[in-house]
Amino acid sequence: MGELPRPDSPVTLPTYADNAAIANGLEPETGATLKVFNWTAYINRAVVRNFEKRYKCKVEITTFNTQEDALAKLNTGDLQFDVFVPTVDVLSSLVAAKQVRPLNHGYIPNIHQAWDFFQNPFYDQGWRYTVPYTIYTTGIAWRNDHVSGSPDQLENPWSFLWQEQYRGKVAILDDYRESIGLGLMYNGETDLNTPDVEKLTAAEQALLNLAKLTSVHIDNNDYTNIPSGQMWIHHAWSGDIAAAEYYMPKGVSVDTVSYWFPRNGRGPVNNDTMVVLAGGKCPVLAHLFLNYFLDVDNVIENISYNGYMQPIHGVTGPRLVKEKLLPPNLTTTVVLESDFPRGLRELQISASARQVWQQDWLNVSRGV
Amino acid sequence: MVLSAPARVRHRQHPPRARRRVLYAGLSVPAILWLAVFFLVPFYAVLSVAGGQIDGIRGTPIPEWNPLIWSRASYHAVFQEFSGTGAFLGPLVLRTVEYVGAASLLSLLIGYPAAYYVSRFATKRKGLLLGLLLAPFWVSYMMRMLAWIGLLQTDGYVNRILIDLHLTSHPVTWLGGKASTVVLGLVYGYVPYLILVLYAGLDRIDSSLLEAGRDLGLGRVRTFLFVTLPLSRQTIITGLLVTVLPMLGDYFTNVMLSGATNTSMVGNAIQGQLQSTTLQTQGAALSLLMLGVLAIPMLYYVVATNRASQAAA
Amino acid sequence: MITATTSAPARRRLLRNPWRRPVFLEGFTWLYIAWSLLPIGLAVLFSFNNGRSQSVWQGFSMRWYTGDPLQSVLHDPTLHAAIAQTLKLALFTTVIAVPLGVAFAIGVDRWRSRPAEAANFVMVFSFVIPELIFGVALFFVFNTMFTSVHLGTLAETIGLVTWNLSWPAIIVRARLVSIGRQYEEAAADLGATRLQAIRRVLLPMLAPAIFASAVLVFSGVIDDFVLVNLLSSTSKTEPMSVLIYSNTHGGNGGPALNALATLMLLFSFVVAIIGFVGYRLMTRGERTSTDESLATFAGM
Repeated sequence: MGELPRPDSPVTLPTYADNAAIANGLEPETGATLKVFNWTAYINRAVVRNFEKRYKCKVEITTFNTQEDALAKLNTGDLQFDVFVPTVDVLSSLVAAKQVRPLNHGYIPNIHQAWDFFQNPFYDQGWRYTVPYTIYTTGIAWRNDHVSGSPDQLENPWSFLWQEQYRGKVAILDDYRESIGLGLMYNGETDLNTPDVEKLTAAEQALLNLAKLTSVHIDNNDYTNIPSGQMWIHHAWSGDIAAAEYYMPKGVSVDTVSYWFPRNGRGPVNNDTMVVLAGGKCPVLAHLFLNYFLDVDNVIENISYNGYMQPIHGVTGPRLVKEKLLPPNLTTTVVLESDFPRGLRELQISASARQVWQQDWLNVSRGV
Repeated sequence: MVLSAPARVRHRQHPPRARRRVLYAGLSVPAILWLAVFFLVPFYAVLSVAGGQIDGIRGTPIPEWNPLIWSRASYHAVFQEFSGTGAFLGPLVLRTVEYVGAASLLSLLIGYPAAYYVSRFATKRKGLLLGLLLAPFWVSYMMRMLAWIGLLQTDGYVNRILIDLHLTSHPVTWLGGKASTVVLGLVYGYVPYLILVLYAGLDRIDSSLLEAGRDLGLGRVRTFLFVTLPLSRQTIITGLLVTVLPMLGDYFTNVMLSGATNTSMVGNAIQGQLQSTTLQTQGAALSLLMLGVLAIPMLYYVVATNRASQAAA
Repeated sequence: MITATTSAPARRRLLRNPWRRPVFLEGFTWLYIAWSLLPIGLAVLFSFNNGRSQSVWQGFSMRWYTGDPLQSVLHDPTLHAAIAQTLKLALFTTVIAVPLGVAFAIGVDRWRSRPAEAANFVMVFSFVIPELIFGVALFFVFNTMFTSVHLGTLAETIGLVTWNLSWPAIIVRARLVSIGRQYEEAAADLGATRLQAIRRVLLPMLAPAIFASAVLVFSGVIDDFVLVNLLSSTSKTEPMSVLIYSNTHGGNGGPALNALATLMLLFSFVVAIIGFVGYRLMTRGERTSTDESLATFAGM
């Protein structure tokens, strides 16, 4: 494989003769079942139901809890999923393995509703294979009724998680890129794609230290664990915390939830994508599904459940607050267009670097 | 026997031994083939994955089918996890032994009296009691864990009762990586299996032996100590094996009730390796090593049950 | 006042009376039963909770069964699929594993040869191997060798049949040992062929053991998690245990899961009662066979 995709080194993903896009002007498959492979609680069923009604089809959603879980399952062979939502760092290997199908742009006019940046992203020039799905920052969420202070008051804000007094109440994300990345940032490192073994070992040490201090919990349930009070400080994705209100127990105000993210270019900003998988049986419906989730009205309704913003014109923090989809105290979860050029991105790393990252993560997570 | 006939007749009418053999062999062949293809061959696949390579792009394992050129890299990687710089497997193995040891001991302390009571003393209500003891078998394991997750929440009933009784002032975070919670989960999950085996064994102890004990003037306690307990030694051992072996491979109880790294067990490590694409060959190697270690108690079980069935014959 | 009215030797006799009720043991047993069943009862109760919480009671409602338009068992397709898949797998596995296992038991017990002993050895070994180790092996064999068997219902069924084959094989074999061979021989003496002897004489005598093993296989499949978690693919092929695990682990647990589990529980109990009544009917007159089949596993 050639260059790794980076903002200053954009990549055009290759296409292959034996993995062509679908033809123009095809009718959507009738009476079909569209199979979507997605994160747990990451799509609004009500929007999906509207899609089903509109295109007279059924949508079957299979969920996964971690990106690695999903890839391991996809690699097991012919699962016939139509739509998948990969992070950008795994695109090249999906393309090389011909697991994703090139897009026929004719079916996806709504791409023009997306921010300009996402109409020709550096990780997939000419959006040959992907459309953008959600955008998010990775920061720290906490319960301000149980935990005092905030990361901003600390010299090293990421050390907010390293607090022994909240033992048993601290959690990090179950995602080797995010969590090893957390260890790197804690050590002052800003290259979240480093293959440097020493830096990675230091990050691993920092996380092991965190585990020792706080008996750290590992999960991607920031969206329920912070509202329920099961966890008090959680390494978190902005969209998960934006949805906190939906999960607050009776009698507890959403004002008790805080979210911090450094806007000075020292925190991760990323986006997920939606792709059409090559093994699916409903490629036309799959294209229409991608298109459906680029329309601003559907996006707003989707956000009302899953909390994650999408890079679509008209989806702004003030609008979400006004429509009561986002509590005013959680506007720190809003992702701005200007965050993308500034923020740290988790992008593709070489297979050998990936093995080092994953080994370090196993040493920390112990498979939990 | 009314049905038995003169030897002369039997001799003539019996089909030749060889033909009988063919019939019986034929009956067992389908299952033997099934076991060969779906039980033995899969382990060859694991050996081939553990001895194979990792795809340079996708990170997925590429098995090596030729045993002569099996690589030792993944075993080496596992060895590194025991002793290398990032070593974590050693403590994990120790912890697994501790948790499983504690859980099986507790299971025995809970299960033996219950099984003993139902097999020896419950007369009229034996059917009911046995039914209640076996009831958990009919409830999915995951539902039983789900039940405890509800109870052990910060605002759950366990904490509320503890606070009402003034045993604690702050709610305990039971689900925040507590060893005691994991051990409790294991006991709760597996004790029914132990009770089943203990009951079956205790129930078969010849009651005339116990009466003999009493006739010799032993009290109940001493009858138990000198007669029942020695007679149930084999049952205890097999019962423990039947619970310990699956506990050693358990990873889900841990994930459901703790989810913290400081309670992780060997099963979690294997599961974690399986879920990281580039570490799957390691997962294959570690599960084979575990099989190697556990082969001894497993063989013991096979031999013990075999001996028992031969004795019965 | 016992001390006042009973003489010392009499008291000692009372203490030693072997037929006295063992109050302590009895109490302990009931305590254990309460501990093992109360949490399940509460989980069932919370399936009727009028709120998202699985720990704080917010009033009675049928919301998680029928009320909620998106997340109730009635309206969430993944929840139906989970029940359907659980039952499907239980049925397929029982139908395949029981005949295979019974034939194996008869064959191996009467064949009596080295290959038979070896096969039996492997069979018992498959009973005690930790499920995770076997699951890893199946996961790899379906991904690298038998690649035409895709993960999903077929892979799950094959895995569950292999894993549960030992129940009928071991239980039926134990029964065969205790029956002995004289009945078949007698049938043969009366002119029956071997096959007829098996069908007309042996199988009816084995019926209770076969039935018991079928019930155990069925409940074993409902209980299974490790294999199906490794071998399932789409949400259509995820049985209930996988759904509960991934949703709880994924933070999306809610009383709908309790509702789902409660329905499954009801179903299991119906099967259990049918099993119990059926077994009673088949074993009228012989009281020992339940204990006998259990004892086989205890190595007694």
